[in-house]
Amino acid sequence: MTAGDTIVAISTPPGVGGIGVVRLSGPAAREVASAFLRFDHGHQWQARIAELASLIDEGGALVDQVVVTWFAAPRSYTAEDVVEISCHGSPVVLRHSIDRALAAGARLAEPGEFTLRAFVNGRISLPEAEAVHDLITATTLHQAKIAAQQLGGSVSRAIAPLKAQLLELVALLEAGIDFAEDDIDVASASDILARIRPIRLGIDRLAASYAYGKLVHDGLTLAIVGRPNVGKSSLFNCLLEQDRAIVTEIPGTTRDTVSERASIGGIPVKLVDTAGVREATDKVEKLGVERSYQAMADSGLTLVVVDASQPLTAEDVSLLEKAGSQGPSIAVANKCDLGITAEVRGGGFTPVSAISGDGIDALRRAILQAISPQGTISPESGLITSLRHERLLRECLEALDHAALAVESGLPHELLLLDCYAALRPIDALTGATTADDILNRIFSTFCIGK
Amino acid sequence: MGHAGAAWVAGSGVHLFHRGALSEAPANGVFAASAADDQNFHGNISYSYNKLGYLGFPLRPMRQHSYDVVVVGAGHAGCEAARACARMGLKTAIVTMNIDLVAQMSCNPAIGGIAKGHLVREIDALGGVMGEVADDVGIQFRLLNTSRGPAVWSPRAQMDKKQYRVRMRQVLEAEPNLRFVQAEAAELVLASAVNGHRRITGVLLRDGRTLGCGAAVVTTGTFLNGMAHIGESKYNCGRSGEAPANLLGTFLRSLGLQWTRLKTGTPPRLDGRTIRWECFEPQLGDADPVPFSFMTGRIERPQVACHIAYTNEDTRRVIHESLARSPLYSGQIEGIGPRYCPSIEDKIVKFPDKPRHQLFLEPEGLDTYEVYVNGMSTSMPVDVQEGMLSTIPGLAEAEMIRPGYAIEYDAIDPRELSHALEVKSIDGLFLAGQINGTSGYEEAGCQGLLAGINAAHRIAGKDPLLLKRTDGYAGILVDDLVTKGADEPYRMFTSRAEYRLHLRIDNADERLTKVGHVAGLVSGERWERFQAKQQEKEALRRMLESTRADSKRHPELGLSTDDRPLLSEWLRRPGARIGALSGVMIEALGHMPQLGALQTVETEFKYAGYLDQQDRMVRRMKDSEERRIPRGFVYDGVPGLSREVRDKLKRVGPATLGQAARIPGVTPAAISVLDVYLTIREGADSDV
Repeated sequence: MTAGDTIVAISTPPGVGGIGVVRLSGPAAREVASAFLRFDHGHQWQARIAELASLIDEGGALVDQVVVTWFAAPRSYTAEDVVEISCHGSPVVLRHSIDRALAAGARLAEPGEFTLRAFVNGRISLPEAEAVHDLITATTLHQAKIAAQQLGGSVSRAIAPLKAQLLELVALLEAGIDFAEDDIDVASASDILARIRPIRLGIDRLAASYAYGKLVHDGLTLAIVGRPNVGKSSLFNCLLEQDRAIVTEIPGTTRDTVSERASIGGIPVKLVDTAGVREATDKVEKLGVERSYQAMADSGLTLVVVDASQPLTAEDVSLLEKAGSQGPSIAVANKCDLGITAEVRGGGFTPVSAISGDGIDALRRAILQAISPQGTISPESGLITSLRHERLLRECLEALDHAALAVESGLPHELLLLDCYAALRPIDALTGATTADDILNRIFSTFCIGK
Repeated sequence: MGHAGAAWVAGSGVHLFHRGALSEAPANGVFAASAADDQNFHGNISYSYNKLGYLGFPLRPMRQHSYDVVVVGAGHAGCEAARACARMGLKTAIVTMNIDLVAQMSCNPAIGGIAKGHLVREIDALGGVMGEVADDVGIQFRLLNTSRGPAVWSPRAQMDKKQYRVRMRQVLEAEPNLRFVQAEAAELVLASAVNGHRRITGVLLRDGRTLGCGAAVVTTGTFLNGMAHIGESKYNCGRSGEAPANLLGTFLRSLGLQWTRLKTGTPPRLDGRTIRWECFEPQLGDADPVPFSFMTGRIERPQVACHIAYTNEDTRRVIHESLARSPLYSGQIEGIGPRYCPSIEDKIVKFPDKPRHQLFLEPEGLDTYEVYVNGMSTSMPVDVQEGMLSTIPGLAEAEMIRPGYAIEYDAIDPRELSHALEVKSIDGLFLAGQINGTSGYEEAGCQGLLAGINAAHRIAGKDPLLLKRTDGYAGILVDDLVTKGADEPYRMFTSRAEYRLHLRIDNADERLTKVGHVAGLVSGERWERFQAKQQEKEALRRMLESTRADSKRHPELGLSTDDRPLLSEWLRRPGARIGALSGVMIEALGHMPQLGALQTVETEFKYAGYLDQQDRMVRRMKDSEERRIPRGFVYDGVPGLSREVRDKLKRVGPATLGQAARIPGVTPAAISVLDVYLTIREGADSDV
């Protein structure tokens, strides 16, 4: 990275979209952009005002009508002069803009370089830089919301009081050592344990939110299994259909995979095609069942679908048992518009009708319930979506457990403090207080902002 | 600043000549304080001195006074500095205003304490004198924190205050290269150096003499522009009853360095004959006193008792009623005092719910009745001091020999110093002790020793001795000072040590004797004994790691027949103590190893797991410690650093990324930016 040069990149996802944004950052951003823009209404370069302009080629001919916004340093994402050009999303037009910018002296941005500059220029902290990555790759509104909250420091905010409690404990123990001559009470083992407990609980809760946070971040793989003709494909389409509108509203949605993605309660869900089972004939039934077993094993949640109007078969029962033993699953009784057998009614099934849509909302709630820890964690309570964050919290938990053990075995406090510092250090790393080469390298090499 | 009434202040503060009444000039042309009376110097007296011969009274041609090193001040820092330089073969002068008060214990008559005892052990290992002198004249020894692990055990001892002075002077006078000069240092003689710095060439005394030198160690304690406060009254002094160093104070203030005003306090001293001792719980010394020095054998001197007293509600009321008369609360005192050592009035204001505060009645010596009331530091008016003392049962009739007082003094912003304790912009000028913003005899002694060694290295053209934070508390002390500055008087705590489990009193010798040996401070006898102890430890370690416990051969260990751990493993078990292995050790080694060797080896086996854990944690620090920031690095060229952060980095000029990270207010983000830039810069440099 060299201070003083100007970088350029396409900052919207690859492919043909409605709008494509080309972003320039650096002291020469306006100068570079002026080489291929012509302002239609005379006035130009008013900070933070979207201006209509013409993108022109070397000969001065119109290529595209664009909207140009200039963010004057330091009030921009990178804290440098930034020019954003919103073109019509044709890859050819975008490519043209980049070529012209490069010809005018800009340099193609490295992956993540806009965020690196924002970070280096003190615009964003380390966790924010990581959260930006999630924001950019968010595929649903809910994901965007959580990423936005992390950007605002919800993780830091959730940890701050726990960190304060830990620091209080450390201070208490340190005081006992350094001021042993003074008239201060030495913390008793039970007092120390009573202080460790709530810290541990809070960190544990936060760490546990990773399971849900990971779902929000990575999405849920939902397998729909069942005998042939129980209505799996209808249910599949039903779950998919209802969210199609939401999915397409989300900026950055990968359109070519939309056919197998839905959003349930804001969580991106990958519906797993179990067509092998659906198309299974009696001859290859055994093989089909094996395939659905495999799908169950790979999924985060399995919907086992039975026909509500028919008696349960041995195959139904075996699938239900298998799914139950492999992980979270929901037993769904489809075709309840055709009647519900007594057996199904008393069997803890979620009744739906993929045809009429009855019970689908209840099924969605059941799905959310099944994947949310205690079903109560809200994004506002601090949800972690990054594996790094989870690792750090687990490291902290481990150290706190060691600390509790140290107290119970009556170890002197200077040794107990080792564990307390070991618990503190990962929290420091999480709240941005610790930085290391490897973290920086990892973040900025996986970062694709502006590309 | 406390210059009120000093005639020379008239006109520019830099003009130090007396331009006042000629009639005051004595016949020899040399001014002095008008009377020797202790308390007279704070009156309206001329502090003029003879700089180049006084107005038509030319001086007689004087002898050349030329030294390698001049040490200004003979307190705990000055004594170590002077002794070290002399020991290292340099012609050394130690300048003090009163040669009878060398190594005076201005405050409590004790050496050591938690973390401070560690410092004394380190001073001793490096070849300093504080530990040996303390062992010679200590009258009550206690090892503190023994309810915890050996890493935080720390020795403390009550001293015979007068004997400490006497003994220290003997030690210094035994050095053939060291000369005492009783005089007041008035100015430093500076020349410009080739590197654009200034450099010191001498010390100008108030009596007109100039002591030439290649390096100076300035240790002014509380004397630099010192001003004492007792209630509503304040007066210029260096310590109660001693003149301040105002000439030097004014001169140093003119050098363009950053100074601050600190405050410290001391409690009243009582006449022991008027104390009803039976009212107080005695606190005895240890039955088996633990000495400070590696060279001290058994301490045979009989031990005296201290006594524990408490303030009460009446004491609180007396103080509370008179708070308006406290210079601390009236705004009269501007200097910043230490939070860890508050005055009794501070304690009562800040902890109103605490029903009582602990006091220790400490004897000041064997041949005096004077008693130090530890815990009752105060600057209240004398009548209030008497009033509060009288509220304590047993002290109701106690007579005060000296009142407590607070003293304000000048200290440098230690970020002006390098890790060698040398002023960064003045070659050869080293500072140590309270002038660097510290508090405590041990902190002072440690700095004095390091400053003395580095002054000697400067003369010899050698690289400075730089101790790392992982080497000892001495390294932490210096690094903290030059990195963080001192917003309040700095005291050492074990919690400042990242490497605490390793920085123990039992291995101070192992950590630092070699350093002192290389510097030339360690006597031949000490070096031999040290090596013998190291060999003994090594043999003991090897034996414990290769011998299996056996229920038949070692029935004293109470093991079952199939339980045959290595002795080193057995030692890790809870409750296992190396003392139980005396039979095995005598059998295998032919003798019982010395106590020091036993303690270190036992600790290292017992806490091996924790020492490893700490090593892992400290490794990261060590890495960033090895990431050097080039000298003269231009922070202005680094975008993304806020002006505040940039200013802080410029002021400290950190040598490593690790040090930069320790500067308060330098954010982790700023460190990342620096890291990125250093990487880029290194890449650019290696491309060339």
